[in-house]
Amino acid sequence: MKKLLTILVLAIFSVATIAASGAKENQADVSLEKVMNAGVFVLGLDDSFPPMGYRDKNNEIVGYDIDLAKEVTSRMGVELVNQPIDWSSKEQELATSNIDCIWNGFTKTDERAKVILFSKPYLKNQQILIVKNSSPFNSLEDLKGKSVGLQGGSSASDAMDASPEFKASLKEIIEFSENLTALMDLEAGGVDAVLLDLFVANDNIKRSGKDFRIIKGSLTEEEYAIGFRKNDVALRDKVQSILQDMASDGTIAAISTKWFDADISVVTEN
Amino acid sequence: MTHLLIPMLEGTLVSVKIFFFTLLFALPLGLLIAKAKQSRFWVVRKLINTYIMIMRGTPLILQLIFVYFAPYYIFSTSFDRLNAAIIAYVINYGAYFAEIYRGGIQSIDKGQYEAGKVLGFTKAHTFFHVIFPQVIKEIIPAMGNEVITLVKDTALAQTIGVAEVFRVAKTASAREFSTTPLFIAGVFYFIMNAVVSKVFDRMEKKLSYYD
Repeated sequence: MKKLLTILVLAIFSVATIAASGAKENQADVSLEKVMNAGVFVLGLDDSFPPMGYRDKNNEIVGYDIDLAKEVTSRMGVELVNQPIDWSSKEQELATSNIDCIWNGFTKTDERAKVILFSKPYLKNQQILIVKNSSPFNSLEDLKGKSVGLQGGSSASDAMDASPEFKASLKEIIEFSENLTALMDLEAGGVDAVLLDLFVANDNIKRSGKDFRIIKGSLTEEEYAIGFRKNDVALRDKVQSILQDMASDGTIAAISTKWFDADISVVTEN
Repeated sequence: MTHLLIPMLEGTLVSVKIFFFTLLFALPLGLLIAKAKQSRFWVVRKLINTYIMIMRGTPLILQLIFVYFAPYYIFSTSFDRLNAAIIAYVINYGAYFAEIYRGGIQSIDKGQYEAGKVLGFTKAHTFFHVIFPQVIKEIIPAMGNEVITLVKDTALAQTIGVAEVFRVAKTASAREFSTTPLFIAGVFYFIMNAVVSKVFDRMEKKLSYYD
């Protein structure tokens, strides 16, 4: 009986290995052809990230990144499909071809660049601190001995790790699963400040009408870029060249003005 | 308010779909596993025990991720998100249901099988017409617990990007900077579970013919 079980287990494993090795044989870069032939470009996003990509009142996915992607795909002649994903599984979603790119205020980091092929940066971002308007804090130094909230696993938490001095000066760091819960805690008087993306903070203050303000100074400057599979160079280059065309003819400036009231994109012209 | 409620009702429909299909497949699967666990064959018993140990011993959230992503690495293709979620729930809940069934089956006196034999019933006839109706009666409270948990567990499907009601609520919260959508989602779950509780209450009353 034991023998039978061993044979069974071995059989399952060998089938799995054969199938897995078969998948890796084709090494040629057909990423662009694949998208063109399929006629769809699947953009992976966490659809709760205003103003880059989120759902509007009609439950449609909109945002700065979405407007850029719409224009890129229409110039490619393919259809844009916005696929909501869980942000913590984004690398898996990309690796398993469920999506063609991650385009959602995706911060370019050295760590991520090891497994992901990035486009050139298209937007500069900062990690800033937001406090209650009535609070006495005006600078990073004022937050000494205070508690700061942030979204776990986000670039805010990377930025915090990259600023050991500031981190050590704090009383505690509280991680939330979303910015929203962190900001709710700030409003309720739990944490003294929340560390988050400048764009998210601006958008939040502008649209929510909450009594928050951004204090002077930022932890790190960082850049948003589009993430592709490591081997999909052809697809990345195509998207990159269209973005540069869009910078030349002023399309990006128009989209940027629509969302941020100014042309703040950093895509270089051809 | 309608701009909030319509997407949330759509999300609720997805949650209900997961719930319904999980029950549809996991209830018979559980019974099959419970019977297989009492099998005469050592290999079958061992396999079933391992399966139940893995299903109960690892987080459901991990099983969801595994069912959705693993097939790509093995067969370079994957299930549709919703199907992957339903498969994960079915194999997970099948294991829990199996143990509940087993408890019910073992609570029935051996003498009843013997009586069935004496009366000339086949084994299957004895099981389905004599034993199983009593098992159902026995396991209703435990099943009720598990089914209510399932309603709330459907929220985990968002891990693999399924737009069930809680995920819809979260995206709406992010847009409106308010917790109202999350609260509405809570009310939706509560209503769904109120219905489930009511159904189980009814069943229990109907089956308590000896009290």
